[in-house]
Amino acid sequence: MEALLQELKMKIIETLDLVDVTPDDIKEDDQLVGGDLGIDSIDVLELVMMIEKDYGVKIDNKELGAKVFSSLRTLAQHIKDNRA
Amino acid sequence: MTRVFITGAGIISPLGRGLEATLHALLHNVSGIAPVSLFGVSGPSPLPVGEAPLIPEESTLPRTHLLALAAAEEALAGHEGPVDAVCIGTSTGGMAVTETLLRDAVTDPSLYRHHSTGTVAAEVAQKFGCRGPLLTVSTACSSSAVAIAMAARMIQACTARMVLAGGADSLCRLTYYGFNSLQLLDPAGARPLDRDRRGMSVSEGAAMLLLEGGDSPPPGALAEVTGWGLSCDAYHPAAPRPDGGGAMQAMRSALEMAGIPPGGVDYVNLHGTGTVDNDQAEATAVRGIFGGHHPPLSSIKGATGHSLGAAGAIEAVASTLALKRGIIPANTGCAVPDQALGITPVLAPVERPLKTVLSNSFGFGGNNAALLFCAPEETRPPAAPVKPPVLRIIAAACATGAGGTESTMARIVSGSAAGIVPREALDSLLSPKEVRRLKRLPRISLALAQAVLQGSGTEGIFSVYYGTGWGALSETADFLGKLYESQEQFTSPTDFVGSVHNAPAGQIAIKYSAGGANLTFTGGDHTFEQALLALSLFGSPGPSLLIGADEYHEALMPLLQENHAAELPPSEGGGALIISAADRRQGPVIAPLYLGQTLSGTETLEDMALRLREMDAAARYGAVFAGIPRKHRECAGRQMAELRRMTGLSCPMMDYRERIGEHSSATACAAALAARLCTEGSIPGGIAGDEPVPLRGRGVLLLGLGENLSATEIMP
Repeated sequence: MEALLQELKMKIIETLDLVDVTPDDIKEDDQLVGGDLGIDSIDVLELVMMIEKDYGVKIDNKELGAKVFSSLRTLAQHIKDNRA
Repeated sequence: MTRVFITGAGIISPLGRGLEATLHALLHNVSGIAPVSLFGVSGPSPLPVGEAPLIPEESTLPRTHLLALAAAEEALAGHEGPVDAVCIGTSTGGMAVTETLLRDAVTDPSLYRHHSTGTVAAEVAQKFGCRGPLLTVSTACSSSAVAIAMAARMIQACTARMVLAGGADSLCRLTYYGFNSLQLLDPAGARPLDRDRRGMSVSEGAAMLLLEGGDSPPPGALAEVTGWGLSCDAYHPAAPRPDGGGAMQAMRSALEMAGIPPGGVDYVNLHGTGTVDNDQAEATAVRGIFGGHHPPLSSIKGATGHSLGAAGAIEAVASTLALKRGIIPANTGCAVPDQALGITPVLAPVERPLKTVLSNSFGFGGNNAALLFCAPEETRPPAAPVKPPVLRIIAAACATGAGGTESTMARIVSGSAAGIVPREALDSLLSPKEVRRLKRLPRISLALAQAVLQGSGTEGIFSVYYGTGWGALSETADFLGKLYESQEQFTSPTDFVGSVHNAPAGQIAIKYSAGGANLTFTGGDHTFEQALLALSLFGSPGPSLLIGADEYHEALMPLLQENHAAELPPSEGGGALIISAADRRQGPVIAPLYLGQTLSGTETLEDMALRLREMDAAARYGAVFAGIPRKHRECAGRQMAELRRMTGLSCPMMDYRERIGEHSSATACAAALAARLCTEGSIPGGIAGDEPVPLRGRGVLLLGLGENLSATEIMP
């Protein structure tokens, strides 16, 4: 799980081209969307694509997305539970 | 003020081809939504979309163009002679063909010749005749509602007497996968206002209106366009302002223009896409305008799907039919209205006489348009006359291969500034955070806006009038690249949102909180002139940004534009002007004098010469900046010689595309330079001839030559 969390931090920064953000800035239990990181709804959908591509996990509706993307930890947990 | 009547209408949509088929479908609550069949798609099952019943014919034209021609033919049936202008809203243009060619790595530029959004209006003009300008609005899903407002305003202001206005868009992979990547397509088909709605059904179609001016309804008048409202949310690239404030502003403006109170509206045709956010924001706006007792209302997008740039025109035709036949169409697809919305749609068609219909269209970039249609009554209280605004330039900036304004000015004295805009010219004006998700065109556009605002001394801007020949090519290429690389499995929602032509203008609005009209004109080398014409017609209650920009894209540009022949240096950039609304006495004044084209074989060069003679051009201008597109060099040379002969113009000339580049927004750059030079009072040697040209109160005449003819003056 720890490795996945670290990996996701890197992937999020890379996918969203988050300038001025380091992996340490992304706290596992902080609000992921709409917080200080500047991640918004379009970014979430960009991450949805990345997660499907890199982990084979689909997050194909907004209700599920809202739950999964509430924090980095919930996202990692969802990937862990659902990856093939 | 001249009244504006609808005297012809044509339509092709998933509901059928022609007015009769459409009316039949509306009367019987028929839906045109079915799983996509026009192209194969990836995924477990093809999503429901709306396909128009276009019979395939022997034609190399893209579907958008064929749909537009079909609607135009019906709208113009029984009408003789050319119209004065063609004004079309479209977002996809020739994309359905282009995306297939790109997938197959086809490199023959001639096959991409219908890619440009501007070629839709050009085809219509060539087939049916047009004496004047071809205007192409690309404000995403409000495109054709804006096009109808623009055409109506031209008639009201007596710039034209008869205009063909409407919209067309065809289904393509870009929009299908794009909206799917945003999770905005309802797998069950669009259910606007339904408790369980999950999105729209993307669709296609075209609709055209023949608009005619007059003091009383001409014989056969179907309806009257009595009001419109344009606004921008200035909130988010792809989501509406949740409080519906921008939508409310557009509806309120339309009602105020017509002098009709909210209680006088008999039916509201909603934008009603079926997405959770749109329907919520629009319902809030409707409650804001009408209070607890709203008129009957419905969205027809559960039946037609969302045809994007064509939707506003399709719903204008539906509104016209509603008035003419006395029918309130049903909110097809909605089974259980969402109580949380606080509005209740009409669930089955109602036959009832109607006098006033309000129709909403909203789009990406927070673009809002509302149109008001009335039954054509003999008399109507005259609308308040609108004084044509004086467009005073209070700041000007440009971007070229040399960099910003000062570097460009220094470079063109001795040679050409054409090239790729240097990185530092953009980076110095933009913060890395604000452009994180933005590629080439929005960066150039935001940098231009920032540069011109810095030098203007104004607090901010209210309206944005934007022209771009090709739009955001990087986003478009990257979206399709990722789609095809992954066998149509993956796309970038960010690139999709960024690929719409009005995305840069939307970004500008967000950054500067510009809540007024936000109009983007596209297609061809005369988009800056179109934006200028729109500004001169609509005006603005606050300062406006008039801007033109284009990016160079290494892979796409050589395919799309013949101007970019291999031996020419790549070029990009543009220009921006801050135009004051206040009565100032300082600063040069810009005015559109003429806009037309030679495509439909009419004698437009003579018309332009006549206009210039009226202005006493020979004495009025100290220099001519002529835009001579490379692909029309020979013809433009002849045109220039003819113009000199017909007008007596003998002042020095600069062929500005040689100095600025062959890109479509070279005119915007030339206008910015002309504004600077008018302020300085003389043109340095090396620009228009070797010698310096003292202006002595005279102005600069900007000419666009080739297929599209334009004349614009900038006076000190």
